[in-house]
Amino acid sequence: MTAGKKRAQILAILLILLVCGFYLSLTKGSVKTTFSDLWDFFAHNNQTHAQIFIHLRLSRALLAFLVGASLSLSGAILQGYFQNPMAGPFVVGVSSGASFGAVLALILGLNMSIWGFSLQNVFAFCSGFAIVSLVYILSLRTGAFKVETLLLTGIAAGALASSLTSFLIFFKSESFEQAVFWLLGSFHLADWNQIRVILSTFVLGIIISQWLAKDMNLLVMGDEIARSLGCSVNRTRKIFLIVSTLLASSSVSVSGIIGFVGLIVPHWVRLIIGPDHRYLFFASSLTGGVFLMFCDLLARTVLAGSELPIGIITAAVGAPFFIYLLNKRR
Amino acid sequence: MRKLLTCAVPALWLLTHLTLSAPYIQEKSIIDDLGEIHILGSPPERIISLAPNITEILFALGLEEKIVGVTRYCNYPINARTKTRIGGLVDPDLEKIIHLQPDLVIAYRGNPLNLVHRLKDLGLPVFVLEAGTTVESALHLIERIGVVTRKEKASQGLIARLKKNYKKIRDRLANADIRPKVFINLHGKGLWTCGKNTFLNDMVLKAEAINIAGEVDRAWFNYNREELIHQNPDYIVVITKSKEDFLDVKTWFKEQSHLGSIKAIQNENIFLLNEDLVTRLGPRIFEAFEQLARILHSSSFEAGI
Repeated sequence: MTAGKKRAQILAILLILLVCGFYLSLTKGSVKTTFSDLWDFFAHNNQTHAQIFIHLRLSRALLAFLVGASLSLSGAILQGYFQNPMAGPFVVGVSSGASFGAVLALILGLNMSIWGFSLQNVFAFCSGFAIVSLVYILSLRTGAFKVETLLLTGIAAGALASSLTSFLIFFKSESFEQAVFWLLGSFHLADWNQIRVILSTFVLGIIISQWLAKDMNLLVMGDEIARSLGCSVNRTRKIFLIVSTLLASSSVSVSGIIGFVGLIVPHWVRLIIGPDHRYLFFASSLTGGVFLMFCDLLARTVLAGSELPIGIITAAVGAPFFIYLLNKRR
Repeated sequence: MRKLLTCAVPALWLLTHLTLSAPYIQEKSIIDDLGEIHILGSPPERIISLAPNITEILFALGLEEKIVGVTRYCNYPINARTKTRIGGLVDPDLEKIIHLQPDLVIAYRGNPLNLVHRLKDLGLPVFVLEAGTTVESALHLIERIGVVTRKEKASQGLIARLKKNYKKIRDRLANADIRPKVFINLHGKGLWTCGKNTFLNDMVLKAEAINIAGEVDRAWFNYNREELIHQNPDYIVVITKSKEDFLDVKTWFKEQSHLGSIKAIQNENIFLLNEDLVTRLGPRIFEAFEQLARILHSSSFEAGI
């Protein structure tokens, strides 16, 4: 089986990159550290090193990985769902909706949290979900379910949510600094609570989507064919919509809007391993996680003394590679 | 019985001694402007400042030797530039801060709140100060920093000196008969300005003048052009980093033909105030105040000095 072999190869490469990514994330940073410092920490539990390695670098690398994985999985689901390569958490309005919720919670001064799940996470999910439901209902009302209507409604609703977010920020300029954080996206303040939130939604998301991956393969062939092959189309569609919303909005609520990853990583993976969702979902998650981890590593090490916004790196690294793959295909 | 007494007397003595001295044994604590308790141990030896005004206050209190980290914007006094840079106000480098092993980190509300919480979560001793909305809040900041760094004496001395000078200038302004209208220009060309509840607005008021944007219930914003023409300010005070930038802005104002009717522009009453001096709530804010007062009420200062 050549396809199986190719998949195994790609999996091996990704795992090697993952290990390298974690190693580099742990050893590189503005404070010069070497392998022996890392060893010193494991052997003697040096307090300062414990903070730098575990609470700053490891938590940050893990968070970047999980957010990248969640966004890519969300994108992979949405692209299959809409059978449209333009789909992604941004395009259907989830990201904008979620960031509106997060900023709203911030401005109302709601910072209660239970088990690391803060009201901000809840608000982000609710408003992300509200936008998606709105878009879904509106596009159903026009008669038959049409992908184009849904995408266009999504773009419009996303723009509306963004404008409301900007209004909130304008209205309360004292929260400006923090609000901008959600608009630019960053892992600067990564902590374990955020990891707990995103880890739980990601695990839930990947389990459900792997479980329903076969049905997604049927959906891609069209609702009629899927139905005749025994797939309960409406239920599957609803579940996938909820899962992708959950993934994207919890990403936004912990790290702000990080563009490009959710759109482009599933494309890469589809171009390389083909459109079978049983492998596509898992591979997209892994690739997205590794990709965002490396991007964050660059973001915090490229400039001495300050950090680059991560969106600059994701686009600068992602776009050329994407164009290269597209051309190679042709 | 006697045995009991011989035991009881020293025991009682010990007990009273202990209870009396208990407050001294217990560590003193202070509540920061975020409402959180901060323990005052021995005087801090490794201080990190998260804002330029805090750095200036620390230097003014003679704590130069104790400062181990400042922001990239801390450029005054000149020796502040030799200190380790820990990044900016919004994006300080957490690794570097931890590596410097500070025993006191002084933040203020210009630093984002979630950043402050993150620093506290990492176990750093962070003391948070309010941002301040009046000129006198600088004195409050100095007093608080004096307490938390155990430099109460130095801070009280500094406050007394600053207050004396401040009063001298305000006394001179007391018999000013007119209160000129002022437009404060920020961020270079354009009409960015400051509204209600900013210490810059307060400074203009204390200098016996009227900030034409002072009625607007926003902090920093872009002023309306028509409103500027309608208000017709007597003075435009341009706040920039350098003389060159100031001259650029001045030329820009004069070139705007639709603003030609404004008195400040017709009479060339366009003046410079140094940005670093005027935007930092530290000891130098009173120098900025004096400069502003001299610009707006030059006649009150003509006699003497």
